[in-house]
Amino acid sequence: MPARVLDVLLGIYLFVCAACLVWPGFAWFAAREEPFVLGLPFAFAWSVGWVIATFLALCAYHVARSRVGGSRA
Amino acid sequence: MNTAIVLGIAGLYLGTCLLVGMLPGRKSSDSAAGYVAGDRALGLVVMYFITGATIFSAYAFLGAPGWAFSRGGAALYMLAYGTLGFVPFYFLGPRAARLGKRYGFVTQAEMVAHRFSRPGIAATMALISVLAFVPYLALQMQGAGIVLEAMTGGAVDEKLGALLVYGLVLVYVLKSGVLGVGWTNTFQGVFMLALAWGMGLYLPRVLYGGIGPMFERIAAERPGFLKPPGLTGGGTPWPWSEYTSSVLVSIAGFSVFPHLFMKAFSARDERTIRRTVVLYPSFQLFVVPILILGFAGVLLANAPERADGILPHLMMNADVPPVLVGLFCAGALAASMSSGDAIAHATASIVVRDGWVTALRRPLDAATERLAIRIVLVAVVAVSYGLAVLYTGSLVELLLYAYGPIVQFAPAVYATLFWRRATGRGVQAGLIAGIATNILFASNADLRPFDVHAGVYGLAANLTALVLVSLLTSHEDEEREREFLATSAEPGD
Repeated sequence: MPARVLDVLLGIYLFVCAACLVWPGFAWFAAREEPFVLGLPFAFAWSVGWVIATFLALCAYHVARSRVGGSRA
Repeated sequence: MNTAIVLGIAGLYLGTCLLVGMLPGRKSSDSAAGYVAGDRALGLVVMYFITGATIFSAYAFLGAPGWAFSRGGAALYMLAYGTLGFVPFYFLGPRAARLGKRYGFVTQAEMVAHRFSRPGIAATMALISVLAFVPYLALQMQGAGIVLEAMTGGAVDEKLGALLVYGLVLVYVLKSGVLGVGWTNTFQGVFMLALAWGMGLYLPRVLYGGIGPMFERIAAERPGFLKPPGLTGGGTPWPWSEYTSSVLVSIAGFSVFPHLFMKAFSARDERTIRRTVVLYPSFQLFVVPILILGFAGVLLANAPERADGILPHLMMNADVPPVLVGLFCAGALAASMSSGDAIAHATASIVVRDGWVTALRRPLDAATERLAIRIVLVAVVAVSYGLAVLYTGSLVELLLYAYGPIVQFAPAVYATLFWRRATGRGVQAGLIAGIATNILFASNADLRPFDVHAGVYGLAANLTALVLVSLLTSHEDEEREREFLATSAEPGD
């Protein structure tokens, strides 16, 4: 995948992630207690889910981008 | 409570930290780059823990459960900003590292001041950093003292506890510089992670029969408490605008905290910096058990007076074996020390490098500079200790005023690394406008036109002044700036 596409994909991911961790995404989709996920209230589990998703997204970006080469910053 | 066991474990822990901190001192060179930036040779493991453990301070260890306990869903704010806060460093860090290698920078402010040939910028940033870091360090000392006093049943009082712990920190930071900080933080980071997860799973089981039953009971007895955006410190609903703006301001400022940013100059190579950022969210999961511990206190019949005291309170009231109390005590000391050592080291480096060498244009030879940093380090620790034991007001409040303005470094740092048209006068104007606006709205919340974080107003004023003044003024040394930006954008490894 070309470097430019990877950069844009990361940008889109980060934007969606930020929107889901604050208003409006968090307020619309996840500002509730139930259902409980692995014992955690839904809003808590939602936040933890985004931490894990971000970890995976950054790993994928880093590996893919290292293969393509070119300036990242 | 068996005080001897608690003291024994805490003592053993402190002794190990001293040993771990003293050993690397022999390895680094005798220069400022050796003492401040570890000869630019830090590998991935140390970088990971030095960034992770530095952020997780005594304030996080005691304050985060305090938020969960008193403000419910608002505490999720900590997970939100930590998830994304370090991501910009993936792009900022390698650029800064290239410049550091080429020009010999070890602090953030000297990098900004160098591009624009303006020592005044270094002076402004150094002053704000010191004003923020001294109360921060004092708070870490108080944290260490409070934990030791509570856990030993008063056998070690708060002042003596803080003195003991920070005397020790002083010894290994004096001896080993950033390498001492790095290796102790690695040891302390592993310890904190293990302890937080162990306690976070153990205590809810003892008190409620598990994490699931605990949250179900809280949801049943305090409906809505677990939902974001939660409550303010005073117990009234926290609006989404405050929640959202607090998260966004923290994300904007996170990567430019001077003590964190400086670590870009310490890394072995650019790949190490990028990998550290990629791995960082895994450290963030540390917040999960810490918040669970805070929630475990919500339904307790006898609540502590201060929300920050919920964790020690739980330990003392939940019939926990003395060995665990000792380990918890060591964990809290780890949190205090792993932030305190990095802050003390950064403050001394900033005073000498930015406040003296760069701002006053008085270069020192390598040996004198290293000696000066050590002398200032002793002074910084002494002043912070004085503040910790003598100041009777709320340090947290003092910190809020002092720490807020640091976020205002963000536009200056971003512009320095990425914006060709930025000028020195523009950056200086932005800094001053941002810091003044931030302080005005942080100390007079009623003046804010909308319920959003004071930092948002500061950043708006900062950006406006930076852009306008930059467009109206010209570069002072265009050739120098062109070379600076070309170096920062060179293809890296």
